[in-house]
Amino acid sequence: MRIFDPHIHMTSRTTDDYERMAAAGVRALVEPAFWLGQPRTSVGSFTDYFDSLVGWEPFRASQYGIRHHCTIALNPKEANDPRCRDVLPLLPRYLAKDRVVAVGEIGYDSMTPDEDDAFAAQLELARAHELPALVHTPHRDKLLGTQRSLDVIKESGIEPGRVVLDHLNEITVDAVAGSGCWMGFSIYPDTKMSPDRMVAILGRYGLDRMLVNSAADWGKSDPLLTVRTAEAMVAAGFSDDEVDRVLWRNPVEFYGQSGRLDLEDAAPEPIFEGNSILRGGS
Amino acid sequence: MIGTGLRFGYGTNGFANHRLEDALTIIAELGYEGVALTLDHHHLDPFAADLPARVARVAKRLAELRLGVVIETGARYLLNPRHKHAPTLLDDDSDARLDFLKRAIDIAADLNAEAMSFWAGVRPPHVSPDEAWQRLVRGCAQVAAHADNAGVPLGFEPEPGMLVENFEQWDRLRGEVGETLRLTLDIGHCRANELEEVAECVRRAGPHLVNVQIDDMRRGVHEHLEFGAGEIDFPPVLHSLAQTGYTGLVAVELPRHSHAAPDVAARSLNFLRVSQWLGEARAAGEGNLATELAAAGRKVGRANAEMARIRLLQSFQLSPQQVSDLYRYGDNEEKRAILRACPVPDLLRDALRSNDSRLVAAALGPAAAQLTDAEWRQAVLKAVFMGLQLAQVHGLNERADAELGRMLDGLRKEREAAGRIMPADAISLLERLR
Repeated sequence: MRIFDPHIHMTSRTTDDYERMAAAGVRALVEPAFWLGQPRTSVGSFTDYFDSLVGWEPFRASQYGIRHHCTIALNPKEANDPRCRDVLPLLPRYLAKDRVVAVGEIGYDSMTPDEDDAFAAQLELARAHELPALVHTPHRDKLLGTQRSLDVIKESGIEPGRVVLDHLNEITVDAVAGSGCWMGFSIYPDTKMSPDRMVAILGRYGLDRMLVNSAADWGKSDPLLTVRTAEAMVAAGFSDDEVDRVLWRNPVEFYGQSGRLDLEDAAPEPIFEGNSILRGGS
Repeated sequence: MIGTGLRFGYGTNGFANHRLEDALTIIAELGYEGVALTLDHHHLDPFAADLPARVARVAKRLAELRLGVVIETGARYLLNPRHKHAPTLLDDDSDARLDFLKRAIDIAADLNAEAMSFWAGVRPPHVSPDEAWQRLVRGCAQVAAHADNAGVPLGFEPEPGMLVENFEQWDRLRGEVGETLRLTLDIGHCRANELEEVAECVRRAGPHLVNVQIDDMRRGVHEHLEFGAGEIDFPPVLHSLAQTGYTGLVAVELPRHSHAAPDVAARSLNFLRVSQWLGEARAAGEGNLATELAAAGRKVGRANAEMARIRLLQSFQLSPQQVSDLYRYGDNEEKRAILRACPVPDLLRDALRSNDSRLVAAALGPAAAQLTDAEWRQAVLKAVFMGLQLAQVHGLNERADAELGRMLDGLRKEREAAGRIMPADAISLLERLR
């Protein structure tokens, strides 16, 4: 089994996690730029974080044979702080980097006018840099936030197939399924989604444009819930090929649209029913 | 990797020790987009009894491999086993040459080749210059008529030592033969034979080109050299060629490197890709340096990126402030290249404070001479600590002193106390310093 975790905050994790992930089949991941728990008070604190996402963290991941990529953005929560917004003009320097595969996380936290502005401006950056966009859906007032995000995405003119809306659940998936955008699901120990709920959604909505992630960060979370979801899929009767599609080929296809995924030697093609199947992606 | 730009190919005369089918496969596998196919007794023999079947096989294979093709006619002993290149259009009896060139045009048509290429030949001593010129014009007129009928673009190649050896003579010949006679340009010849800068030769030739060969060369010496072994600065040359709007093949011409063909061909393509990127990035100017450096990996391939970045950085006269800004916002791959290309002491110190062993190794290159002895000893000790091979430390034997020995001995004792050993290269250094 090969796993690509399309959303995980390794900055907040230990080398024990890297070791366990590698042992469980995680070969590649994307680390989106987000809030660190402790609010930032200056632009320098952002750029140091971005430097880590394109520098130190890929180096750490490489010690465990894991391919590390990242997304770069001003996150919605901190878009409300005038001390942080000045990072926006610096984003293009980071969006040019080889390992940056999307603009994100962008979207809404409290749906304020400042969040509107930062969201629209960064969707435009995604278009200008020919990068996909990773959109966080809010914890509070989630359904309205998701619908409003879809409106902003539509208005921006970015191709829906180049956008993922993340942290979806049974309540919000419907609106996104019909939009042409990708659907991201974060599997958490207690909150958000569980492996079994995820499998039920896959059974109902199919495997197209579906991304499953652990979104593991500094809070209560588990980097192996991608693997647990794969196991739950098998238990529910999905084939190995379908598991590979959701947990490897789908993220490769989505982030591969950046033209920057570097998965050389990361995971050999599995032999499916005696045949090597041509996999999509980068 | 490079979406737009020039289409690189490789000449099969550089694979003279390979079966043609094998040569085509290797050339395609390496990533070339075409071949310059020199018809020869062992490579699609134009006099074979079953020629049509052979041509059909090669056409099929080229299509499978998605290779473009131009036909070259410079085989040495195809028409006469005793005399190289004989007969030419300048000889008393040039029928065999004419027949061969027409066959080559027919083969080019069957292969849907992008061009068929030929040259004048060396003037025989007993033929006067005027007579030789008349023979050449008559021969070319026949070849041109045949190419017109077949719809095959015709490239005439000025060749050092032959009757037509430079652009000016080619231009005169075209005046007499007509517009069908287009140009095959060997970029190496420009350096050997033309007075202007190579990039300027390419710019002037641009509108007339149907075929380009590429190799390195030295002024006045007609010897096809591997890239880097001659005197040509390729980035501006490739930029100039792309600017002419030429869309045909640019095929590596190294007929004397067949003994190591697969390796030479692999190296050559890397060199050309890096050179093309450098040409574009230099032309884009200092203002775009940050973006170009960041994108190098996806433009020239991960394996070539560091060398490409170093060469790009060395193309500009950068102020310490510019270097420091590029380093500040560079990812670790960019930082490594900056440490090697423009090693400002403060940046070396920054790298040595990092825990990325690749940055530490880059800071311990020749530029580490700028560090104080105390800083340098700390850096070497850190390298040992991180498990770097000491062979990566520049000038280690000259600079290592008793104080470094004392520090290494301390590390050794600590390691022993923890039940671990020091790497063998550090132990042997320590023993030398005692």
